[in-house]
Amino acid sequence: MIRKTFIKESKELFRDGRIRIATIIVVLLIGVSIWISAQQYQNINEQYKVSKTAERAIWDNQGEKNPHSAAHYGTYAFKPKYPLSLVDQGVDKYAGSSIFLEAHKRNEAQFSIAADQTGLARFGDLTPDFMLLFIMPLLIILLGYNSFTKENEMGTLTLLKSQGISYKKWIFGKWAALFLPVFVLTVVLFLIAGFILSNLKDFGVFEWSSLLWMFIIYTTYYIIFINLILFISAKAKKSGISLVVSLSFWILACLAVPKAASNIAEDTHPYPTRQEFAANVLKDKKQGLDGHNPWSKEAKLLEKNVLAEHNVDSLHKLPFNFDAYRMQKGEEHEAEIYFKHYNHLKDQFIKQSRVYKRLATFSPYLPTRFMSMAIAHTDYATHWNFADAAENYRIATQKFLNDDFAKNSTYGNWGYQADSDFWKKLPAFEYSPTKLTTVLSENTANLSVLGCWFIGSFALLLFIKKIR
Amino acid sequence: MITTNNLTKIYKDQTALDHLNLQVNAGEIYCLLGANGAGKTTTINLLLGFIEPTSGSAFINDLDVSQKAKETKKFLAYIPENLMLYPSLTAVENLDYFSGIAGKKLSKKNIFNFLKEAGLQEDAFEKRIATFSKGMRQKVGIAIALAKDAKVLLLDEPTSGLDPKASNEFGQLLHKLSQKGVATLMATHDLFRAKEVATRIGIMKDGQLKEEFIAKDISLLNLEQNYLNTMEYKEVTL
Repeated sequence: MIRKTFIKESKELFRDGRIRIATIIVVLLIGVSIWISAQQYQNINEQYKVSKTAERAIWDNQGEKNPHSAAHYGTYAFKPKYPLSLVDQGVDKYAGSSIFLEAHKRNEAQFSIAADQTGLARFGDLTPDFMLLFIMPLLIILLGYNSFTKENEMGTLTLLKSQGISYKKWIFGKWAALFLPVFVLTVVLFLIAGFILSNLKDFGVFEWSSLLWMFIIYTTYYIIFINLILFISAKAKKSGISLVVSLSFWILACLAVPKAASNIAEDTHPYPTRQEFAANVLKDKKQGLDGHNPWSKEAKLLEKNVLAEHNVDSLHKLPFNFDAYRMQKGEEHEAEIYFKHYNHLKDQFIKQSRVYKRLATFSPYLPTRFMSMAIAHTDYATHWNFADAAENYRIATQKFLNDDFAKNSTYGNWGYQADSDFWKKLPAFEYSPTKLTTVLSENTANLSVLGCWFIGSFALLLFIKKIR
Repeated sequence: MITTNNLTKIYKDQTALDHLNLQVNAGEIYCLLGANGAGKTTTINLLLGFIEPTSGSAFINDLDVSQKAKETKKFLAYIPENLMLYPSLTAVENLDYFSGIAGKKLSKKNIFNFLKEAGLQEDAFEKRIATFSKGMRQKVGIAIALAKDAKVLLLDEPTSGLDPKASNEFGQLLHKLSQKGVATLMATHDLFRAKEVATRIGIMKDGQLKEEFIAKDISLLNLEQNYLNTMEYKEVTL
């Protein structure tokens, strides 16, 4: 009976002109969104490569220069574009693509794509993740909202009942007929994405296993929608009511809950304002060692300790340049302050993420979105990871420069210049994103919530004892 | 084949069926006559197991409908007043699906034979039901009953809205089925068709079976007179 119902439903769906048109439109939109996304991905990746090479060339060819001047001159850490961002762009557009690395200061990522766009960007972009997360569930609603109600409205339910229909088999026949087109569409979409990614030059860290996981996540998301839409259709008296309830669920799950979650998370665990953050950092900085100020209490204490340690009575007798040494100590102090304050931000981010995870109970969209972004390396966690890696590189760069300054010059010799080959000795900034296994283990909560939605929605189907 | 013992259905304070005792044997066609609300459809719905009786019992092929509703469905076929099929499927596809629901696997040849036996013209076999008249849909309904090899046929005003030719053809089909040993219970307003096809005729009023006749022993005129008397119809004098 499952097979018969599956064939019958498939024929009905295929012969319904509205469904054909809607499916064609969705397929076209998905195709266009992938094409646009692939173009953007290639452009950004080229920009990344050009910028990275150019910036490194500028760094390497500074010529003879004082290392601390070079530290202030600074360099950039560029955030790579990951292949699966072609499918899910996540927060990349808003998070900034590069961080300026300089002495004494940790900078935020800048040059986000959104900042370069006009106000029209507020309308959103046609991206594969938009199609996958918002439009595909709408297509499921369109295909399935009247799956059961139509039987009552057409009058076929009475005849089916008199034929001794088995509800379970009937329901799963309908389920299979709704699942198959959605599944085929998703498979085709992901195969196209995989094919494009495999054929892009320098496609970096692309792994089919990541794409497969993303596919599993989205398929699960669609199964949840299919189950819920069928349940609503089985319980609704009329197709109109079923459509309204299904659309209400879509609005709630995909639009209202995510926005409410964002507001609740921000209200419960707010980030400090930019001004507050800067003021707090400055306040802490003033309470410690300033590498550029030899007259401060902290600098004098450091001087005293270093002299005692090396058993000399003058900074000139030290085997290194104390100015550079003090600067390095100042850097270390400032780095600690930045870590402290950024860790506070990160704590707030983790707390906000917990709020999101709790609210995911009300929407399968949230865990799907988080999992998709995490696998694509376009989530906030990846951005934090990148920013931390850039900061570690900045600290290591400052040490590299200060150590050279301290080692190759003497106290008071600010005229020291490192030779032109020196800069090439600094290793380039390389950032590798978190591995898939780590991403999955860090997102067990999201996976669990999605799993609960999956099981719960199937349970609802199994509990249907009677069709109205 | 069909038996009811004091079958009663009460909705709140409204008695829809009042202690109905009925027996329809194999090969018999029993027509239930009565005005709207007499209890004919309630009787059929109780026999189908769509509703639960307040008291009494109904049996299909000696199986209690209340207790073994699913098993009884194996033996019966049902054609309502407006048999609705899937409009975007063809007659062949509809028959194939509904037979499949009943657990029957039919070859294309068998499907064609059943449709032919039910009197559907061959050029309509592969046409979508959306283009069918009511009479053609009723024939597909009969084909579903034939394919199911039903022992019991429950019909709820199946000839209502049919033109005389289609109604006549339908009556002939019922005769064919009765000759195969099918027990038929037909609720109808159509006295003429009842007299034509029935073995026995019952007249219902207010949920009760008021009168019962052997069809061949009563003329159409007498049947009409009895019906009107039972309904307490008074002739209007102008």
